[in-house]
Amino acid sequence: MSVKIEQIDACRWRIPREGAMRTEGLVFASRRMMEVLQQEQALEQVRNVATLPGIVGPSIAMPDIHWGYGFPIGGVAAFDLDEGVVSPGGVGYDINCGVRLLRSELEVQEVRPLLERLANELYRNVPAGVGSHRRDFKLSVAEERKVLTRGARWAVENGYGQLEDLAHIEERGTIAGADPELISERALERGRNQLGTLGSGNHFLEIDLVEEIHDQQAGAVLGLFPGQIVVSIHTGSRGLGYQVCDDHLKMMQQAARKYGIKLPDRQLCCAPLGSPEGKQYLAAMACAANFAFANRQMITSWVRESFERVLGRAQAELRMSVIYDVCHNIAKMEEHLVAGRKRQLCVHRKGATRAFPPGHAETPELYRSVGQPVLIPGDMGRYSYVLVGTQGAFEETFGSSCHGAGRVLSRHAAKKRARGHNVEAELAAQGIIIRAASRATVAEEIPEAYKDVMDVVGVVEQAGIGKIVARLKPLAVIKG
Amino acid sequence: MNTYRLLEHTADMGIEAHGSTAAELFRQMALGLRAVVTACTDIRPQVERLIEVTASDREELLVNWLGELVFLLEARQFLPASIEIEAIDEHRLTARVRGEIFDPARHFLEREVKAVTYHQLRVEAGENGWSARVFVDI
Repeated sequence: MSVKIEQIDACRWRIPREGAMRTEGLVFASRRMMEVLQQEQALEQVRNVATLPGIVGPSIAMPDIHWGYGFPIGGVAAFDLDEGVVSPGGVGYDINCGVRLLRSELEVQEVRPLLERLANELYRNVPAGVGSHRRDFKLSVAEERKVLTRGARWAVENGYGQLEDLAHIEERGTIAGADPELISERALERGRNQLGTLGSGNHFLEIDLVEEIHDQQAGAVLGLFPGQIVVSIHTGSRGLGYQVCDDHLKMMQQAARKYGIKLPDRQLCCAPLGSPEGKQYLAAMACAANFAFANRQMITSWVRESFERVLGRAQAELRMSVIYDVCHNIAKMEEHLVAGRKRQLCVHRKGATRAFPPGHAETPELYRSVGQPVLIPGDMGRYSYVLVGTQGAFEETFGSSCHGAGRVLSRHAAKKRARGHNVEAELAAQGIIIRAASRATVAEEIPEAYKDVMDVVGVVEQAGIGKIVARLKPLAVIKG
Repeated sequence: MNTYRLLEHTADMGIEAHGSTAAELFRQMALGLRAVVTACTDIRPQVERLIEVTASDREELLVNWLGELVFLLEARQFLPASIEIEAIDEHRLTARVRGEIFDPARHFLEREVKAVTYHQLRVEAGENGWSARVFVDI
């Protein structure tokens, strides 16, 4: 089925309202991206989201859009609290999958000779890959419940990191309203062995070099300087979050029927925000989101320990503080200005990052003059970006921006492309060390499998829904 | 002979299979799921699990059946070796699955399946038997 699309300007496209659509679609993309997009089903998914009850503003897609389940990856949709719905598919299986960036006082010259040792140490200390977890960490059922309500704060209280870390995490690392009573035994069991693990697939832990500062003032405020060593962590709520999503998708299949919501795709199942099913999902989602915050916080602590050990220097000297931690799979209750009127909305971001502007109360105090940091990982061979949120994003996309590069090759196609290549040796020749639990993962995650993230953030900046601050280059990548 | 086939998806993977009966189809889909996770062939039928799943229709039954195997694999490290579908109708499936607990010395898991999705989900009975398609989130 082809989707009608109209070009608005160099980076905006409209899917006009027709049929069951309650609003139009708004896609951020270059002409070249749009040509590729029209060959897959992501645009249809943008259109399907536009049919959901109570949607406010357009059904939005970021330039890293690709087809997901129900909602596209790179999708943003806001819903009215009275008439709107909440959909687990609009958040995704990996609830609060996100990115955290740590700074340091280290410069590339002092780290390069130790890079191999650092990569090995990180690989040893941070469990990566299917089934991997630390033998020295066991979580009891009672503690797991505390993780679900307290998030990153639980981790800090248990010796992982410092209280100051919390100030630079979205929602300060704890989403309110979490109710562990709503989490199934299955979800608890899947999560128990996985707190403090990276996982596999596109998740990673990276030592990066700050290659270029595009915005000097914002760079300085964020504590970035050229030649600096920083660390990126990309993971989420692991098996616990996947199971929470799965459990609630099942409930929502029934709920959608009960409330007479017509669905163009089963994966879009949802319930009114005010219904018991809707409220229960949000309270369960908060649990999984908190699990993910705690997960990234624990990994942060092990990253710091690894650097201390290899460099033989204390934290006071290394100063590896949290620049920021963003969620890119989440539904949030937020206040936005719609047609000149303040409204409370439930904003779904699935493969999209909150990008609040300078001056916003939710933007951490330290960053209030420049905007909330937005962390956009690319692929393991090229670069990643640090952006800040803008007023443009606040006005046009409910304060949202892109989340990554977005895949262009299927896992199978990537593997085929990698055949006959020693991917690890080729990346090593470019000065990038890879430590991975699975060869298949490396082959499936080759740089060519992704869009050039520079094109993605280029569209974001051109559209004014994010501002580029710095470009990071990977030096060592830990994969599952 | 196995009839399952792994499908392309930009970010994830799909499984397609057919069978002369619903039981054979559901068995093949389970073998397809195992192929997504691991290429290991040395899985011994040492422990037995009796699985029962229920659903409101046969599509959901397929999602729940594969979801059960994902859960056993992830939470209990159980790798299936042989699968016998004992009974199946539109709303219920019972199966006897033999396999073993993951042994790092002999086994290797290539991918983590986060979940079995409803995306383009299909279970059909036709003149030439049964066929199905499902996508899994990686």
